[in-house]
Amino acid sequence: MAEGKAEGRLPRFAVLQLSGCSGCEVSLLNAGQWIEEYRLVYMPLVLSAYDVPEVDVLLISGGVRTDEDLYNLRRAAVRADQVVPVGTCAISGGVASLGDRDEVREIFLAQEGRRHVPHLLPRCRPVDAVVEVDRYLPGCPPTPQLYIDLLFGQPDLHRGRFVCLECGRKKLRDMRPQHLLGFQQGETIPGICLINQGYACVGTSTRNGCGAPCPRAGHPCVGCRGPSDTFIDKESTAWLASIQRVFAGLTDIPPDEVEAALRSPQMSLFLFQFSDYATPQRPPRPKGKVL
Amino acid sequence: MTFPISRIEGHAQVVLEVQQGTVVEARFQAVEFRGFSYLVQGAPAEQMPVIAPRICGICSTAHHLASVKALEDAYGVTPPAVAQRIRELLMLGQIIQNQATSMFIFTFPDRLGLSSIFEEPEHVQRQSSEVAARALRVRKAGTDLIALAGGQFIHPVKAVVGGVISGIAPEAADEMRVQIHDVLPTACELFDYYWATSIAMSDRLGTWGDDAPACYLAAVEDVRPNYVGSTLRIMCPDGTIGDVFPASVYRDYLSMEETEYSYAERSRYRHGIVRANSLARINMARRMGTPRADAYLDRFREAFGRPAHAIMLFDLARGIELVYALERATEILSQPLDREDPSLPYTPRDGDGYGLVEAPRGPLIHHYRILDGRILQAEFIIPTAHNVLAIERALRVAAERYIDSDRIDMELEHAVGRVVRAFDPCIACATH
Repeated sequence: MAEGKAEGRLPRFAVLQLSGCSGCEVSLLNAGQWIEEYRLVYMPLVLSAYDVPEVDVLLISGGVRTDEDLYNLRRAAVRADQVVPVGTCAISGGVASLGDRDEVREIFLAQEGRRHVPHLLPRCRPVDAVVEVDRYLPGCPPTPQLYIDLLFGQPDLHRGRFVCLECGRKKLRDMRPQHLLGFQQGETIPGICLINQGYACVGTSTRNGCGAPCPRAGHPCVGCRGPSDTFIDKESTAWLASIQRVFAGLTDIPPDEVEAALRSPQMSLFLFQFSDYATPQRPPRPKGKVL
Repeated sequence: MTFPISRIEGHAQVVLEVQQGTVVEARFQAVEFRGFSYLVQGAPAEQMPVIAPRICGICSTAHHLASVKALEDAYGVTPPAVAQRIRELLMLGQIIQNQATSMFIFTFPDRLGLSSIFEEPEHVQRQSSEVAARALRVRKAGTDLIALAGGQFIHPVKAVVGGVISGIAPEAADEMRVQIHDVLPTACELFDYYWATSIAMSDRLGTWGDDAPACYLAAVEDVRPNYVGSTLRIMCPDGTIGDVFPASVYRDYLSMEETEYSYAERSRYRHGIVRANSLARINMARRMGTPRADAYLDRFREAFGRPAHAIMLFDLARGIELVYALERATEILSQPLDREDPSLPYTPRDGDGYGLVEAPRGPLIHHYRILDGRILQAEFIIPTAHNVLAIERALRVAAERYIDSDRIDMELEHAVGRVVRAFDPCIACATH
């Protein structure tokens, strides 16, 4: 990755923030190792510089929400050797893309009336709908370790398996809840799969690499890193069907109950991927490019 | 004249309108739009503690807790004492992380004459990269504390309606206490250095940022501030305490308005300007209640009086809070945090709920109206909104200092940045 090193200089990197929450940038700050190994040349959150110069690596966070986002993204991308959207907003819409639901879109876009600010685009778009992308780093936010893997890891390193591998809770065949608990409610039994405890955890099909902080803490996985390699290039129905099979194996919860929870735009499965699956021509996202 | 602002959270710019050497208007513009109050409509209310933190990656802990507290208010449940202690730890982590970031990453470069502590002219590289490494270590104590108490340090998950998911085991608490204990001297050294460079800067400029006195707004007690939030209080410009009110009646005191030039709302207190954030809390504090923080508070009072009004004192006030938060966290971590049930059962019900926390930038209120278990209406009353008018007035005062009828002092651009950063605005929050 660090091509600049061959020329005896530190590789240069920039962070372009579109419409997002800065969480991805804050997480990057905790992966402090880059201070020694990279030369940061643009990242308005921590550095006063008003334009993206030529860089080896361009990280992009946030979704393409305003006309200004669109302009800044196009301008910056051509100056970078490698373009890497980071965080779920830049890759598949993230939580903020819930504004694209038909029932709220109108009130959302009514904000357009203000005259002296950048205008909202009709939809929030992912980065790869606008420019060509070299790699992807999903997560809400990507953990510091994932940033370290991205910036320092082997180019072929990627984590495409599922969250359970890092969670460590045991799946039981003989602890079968009858109904979905719905939302996290108080204390959970340590060491035992949250699905066995009745929670709508989607860790079985969500991309790992995060270290499973949520289920380890007792909160069901909400799927922020998106689909694992098995599902990343498939329709959402494949993802749904797989989770249904998991619930059938571990619980006696009626499938329609699971289905209703999974299909809710604000629950796990679509909370972070809504715009992805709601967009008719979703750009292909080759699994080899997704960290 | 338009000035894009870096080293703050999010996208904002300042526009100064100048006619014949007179500053006619100063506008602080938030130029992005997030729209959470619209996009959460229809969401299951109990999912809000997962959705709301995504308003802001810097303030996610504050939003997580405000959200849980709003639901608890609606459902009529009070969390057990141990959960309250763990939530206080969460907010202390939020304060440590934020104040370290604002001081050492956002505003230190203004004092050192750099564009960033990470990217700097070669001759000072060594000195500032040492600042960078130490600053990140202090900051990490805050983020690690959030991760311990909240599950993950951005968008935490462990506060739930009725309490928290789990207590903190003694071994984990001890380890955290040692880490904070080790980092406290570093934080104090950096703060001392920051204080000294702030004095040097104000000497050079001939001001700490003069602006007329204002009212202050905060939701913490005057001894041992608990950032989980209690009632809102106003301090009048002369230092007397004025209105005291709960979050549920905020509309009687604070009016919110939209403008055509910004995606952020702005608020007024009884038709006037109010200031929130660190200086509001430090002005209201009688004692911090921990030894090192109190020593800094004494030094601050001696130098600047009470209440203090100069703009760049917001920055120094943050340092007092940083030290306090580190000290207070070690106190709580010494208490048992896993001996009681961390949460109580509850029954969801429809209605209105108000959740208040004292976020780094001031009081944050979440208000949900719930119907059939879903969000009918959500309001996010964001601390940055309380400071918009104060920022604009301070910008105007600063601009007048550097603009006259025949020349503009190039210091102007730096002054604009310093004023805005003193208020540490958060644009993702403000445009929720």
